[in-house]
Amino acid sequence: MRSAERSAPQPTQFGWPESWGRAQRGEQLQLGMRNLYILPTGFGILWLAGSALLQAVGIQTQRNGPLLLSFLMLGLMLLALHLTHFNLQGLVLRCGRPKPGFADETLLYPIRLQSSCQRQAIGLQLAQGDPAFPRRLAAGSSCVGLAWQCRHRGQQTPGALLIRSTSPLGLFVCWTRWTPPVTQLVYPARRDGPVAVTSSAPADDSAACKVTPGHNGSDDWHDLRPHRLEDGQSRVAWKVLAQGRGRHSKVFSDPVEAPPLLLPAPGIPRERALEHLSAEVWRRSLRGEMFGLVLPEVRITPGHGHDHRDRCLMALASCP
Amino acid sequence: MPLKPMHPARGLPTRRIQWLALAALALGCVGLDPGWLLGAFTLALVLVAALKLLEARDRRGRRLVALLQLVCCGLQAAQQPDLLPSLLQLLAAVLALAGLLQLESGQSLPLGLVLRRSLRVLGAALPMALVLFLLVPRVGPFGTSTAGPTGRASTGLSDTLDPGGIASLVDKDSPAARVAFSDDEPPPTGGRYWRVLVHSQFDGSRWQRDEDAEQTPRFPADVSAMAEVPGQPERDQVWLVEPSAFSAVPWDGAARPLSTRLHPEPEGELRLLRPALERRSYRLKELASPLGWQRQPPRRSDLQLPPTANPRLRELGRRWSQLGGPEARVLAAQAWFQSQNFRYDRNPGTLPQVNGLDAFLFERQLGFCGHYASSFSALMRAAGVPSRVVSGYLGGEWVVPMGGAPYLALRQSDAHAWSEVWLPKRGWTRVDPSVWANGTSGENLADRLGGAPTGNASSQQGWRWLQRQWWGLDMAWSRWWLGFDQSRQEALLAWLLGGQRWALGSLILGGMALGLGGALVMLRRDRQPPGDRQARAMAELLNQLRRLKIEARPGETLESLAERAAARYPALADPLQELMACHREQRFAPPATDRQAQRKLQQRWRLARRRLKSRNKGAIRQKS
Repeated sequence: MRSAERSAPQPTQFGWPESWGRAQRGEQLQLGMRNLYILPTGFGILWLAGSALLQAVGIQTQRNGPLLLSFLMLGLMLLALHLTHFNLQGLVLRCGRPKPGFADETLLYPIRLQSSCQRQAIGLQLAQGDPAFPRRLAAGSSCVGLAWQCRHRGQQTPGALLIRSTSPLGLFVCWTRWTPPVTQLVYPARRDGPVAVTSSAPADDSAACKVTPGHNGSDDWHDLRPHRLEDGQSRVAWKVLAQGRGRHSKVFSDPVEAPPLLLPAPGIPRERALEHLSAEVWRRSLRGEMFGLVLPEVRITPGHGHDHRDRCLMALASCP
Repeated sequence: MPLKPMHPARGLPTRRIQWLALAALALGCVGLDPGWLLGAFTLALVLVAALKLLEARDRRGRRLVALLQLVCCGLQAAQQPDLLPSLLQLLAAVLALAGLLQLESGQSLPLGLVLRRSLRVLGAALPMALVLFLLVPRVGPFGTSTAGPTGRASTGLSDTLDPGGIASLVDKDSPAARVAFSDDEPPPTGGRYWRVLVHSQFDGSRWQRDEDAEQTPRFPADVSAMAEVPGQPERDQVWLVEPSAFSAVPWDGAARPLSTRLHPEPEGELRLLRPALERRSYRLKELASPLGWQRQPPRRSDLQLPPTANPRLRELGRRWSQLGGPEARVLAAQAWFQSQNFRYDRNPGTLPQVNGLDAFLFERQLGFCGHYASSFSALMRAAGVPSRVVSGYLGGEWVVPMGGAPYLALRQSDAHAWSEVWLPKRGWTRVDPSVWANGTSGENLADRLGGAPTGNASSQQGWRWLQRQWWGLDMAWSRWWLGFDQSRQEALLAWLLGGQRWALGSLILGGMALGLGGALVMLRRDRQPPGDRQARAMAELLNQLRRLKIEARPGETLESLAERAAARYPALADPLQELMACHREQRFAPPATDRQAQRKLQQRWRLARRRLKSRNKGAIRQKS
């Protein structure tokens, strides 16, 4: 779990020349002449300078070797212009169905790639993600998850996706930018903090909410009774058993309490309160506890399990 | 399909290939001269590339290393254009490109695979490079600097000829030059005089070149004379000269230079404006008519004799001066030499410092070519005939190697000196007084020049045989590669375009477009997955069966189709079975990692297809 003090990542800005050109839209993008841009890299310009140097040496010494090598470098540059373009041309990208994730944590945004041939060193990078290592794509379909981070909850898009390649020689950079429209649900960040808890029993509706401390550890039993099989191992008073006083089950102070309802803690900014709830929901879900959620416009009756947890988190994410 | 996250960072490929490229470059640096600016620059650049490779932690740094390596290859090629260094440079260039390809692919691939990929990319770019290399008009150098290597050269020639001070000739068997002829025919034995230096200043015992002989050439190069003359059966000479101390290079005195860097001097020296201490190559075209230097009138200095030295020589010459013309005086000298008991000897001992030529002519009468040329030229001056001494090479060995071009090999032990006299009707005429010595004729003089074979003859034979074979390849390389210069390019353009030079741009563009198209088709075909190739091969097979009116039914397996075809045309059963076996192996066996196994499988498929094709024709004939 990330600490509350951790600063959220800043959106990455693409460098030159990748920030140039119009970003493409639509759920599917086929790369071609109309949406790919290509320019020489800094290395490509150095390559040209090297070729010019060899040309000058060849002329001055009247040797064929440097002249041919200089022309060969020019030929390679011309070839690289097309090969770099071909490396992206024809590639089809489609949005996948992204799974929800938490704000301020790494999210995976799926992209489906369809290629008729194998491609070398394709770089895919989201504007709000880390630079990805160029990867080789085999012919056929594949799916990649692009890592990104988001500071805000709700239905979010990862912003522009940069698709670039400098393969095979690094002399040219060919790129396009695409804004995938499919949104990814982002839950509030998980932050430890106080949440309000109330009982779900109808008689208790008017009862004052109890603010629980951040950590809800409990070993507060007030009585013992002979152990029954249905009590389970977790209620066994091991200490008493170890003292040789027989096998007993603990009797807790609130033995048949109604499942709690979680609410935003009063007096805390709303977004922060939602983040505390997000962490609490996650924690209770991990422990397999039953709980409900009450938000200004949503009330989720107590339940447990992954579906219940996801419903609660979705309610938190889309809370107005 | 499982979702694989893209890793934000991963290590760069290993540096092994780039280190290998640097090793090849370091090996190529062995012959470089650090005293020459270009040599020092190349060495420094190789060092910088090595340090950068050590230091580089990112892609940008490693890319720069690859570029530095390629530039170093080019710089080495400018200094060492011979066959062996060129092969080394090619290796370094292939490795440098392989390193770059591996770096850009982002994977550490097997060396063999990367090298193959590098060769394929180089091969794809080569046609375009050749179009530019052959057709883009050559530009002359920016200046006429002859700066070059500064190391010491090994040569059998000297700009001072002082035979009296030499007790014996040392047998230097090291190579001096090689010359190949375009028709692969050797020159006549008697005409193998290859002049290099002209010594026209005589101080009584020594003959020296003009002091300004190594300065700026006095005759500008005649570019118009370099053009090819259509219809004339002239043959080319391609020369390869070992490093020497002089800018003057060997030639026969009757050939036309084919480069603006070659300057025939008024004395008959041919100067090549390239650094003398590097291996030089040049092309000449043989001419039937004499060149301008032979008609250059003599200067006053060509008659100068020290007034007090060698009185007996001067007296003999004065007597001949009474004869009618220069020709008669030359003949008188020949008669006199032949009437005396002159003998050719490589170890004659030194002559007295004072009046040494008198001692040779009238007392010892024992010496080598320098004694004869020196004394005869002095006698002619005394007789009033302008004369001078020329040093160069005589003879040479005609070598026909197993591979490569036949050539004439000149060694330092073939060094020779002879005289030139001015005859008003013929100009400067060669006279070799060494052949007048007893027992010496023009044919065997060259043999005697070479000296007796030294010890370890049998072991040297094998070594020399190997050397000759290699030189043959080197000569062929020089003829075709080093020989392609401005004049050859002009001839090529004239052949391609006739007089329509305006079409050169279109020709270059067309050639480039063709080269680029071919390269892209080749490289794109390589990118197709093997599955596509199998599908293509299968489609071709189905087409072939379709011509026999055997169509695949919907849902029919290939085996069933083959069985139907074999039932209808029994002759096709065998090849079809073989094709089925190949198909099963290609489709369903684990992919073969061994390329040779893959190739074998493809070969089996092709062979079976061919058999099917031939039987197919027979089957069609039978049916009809």
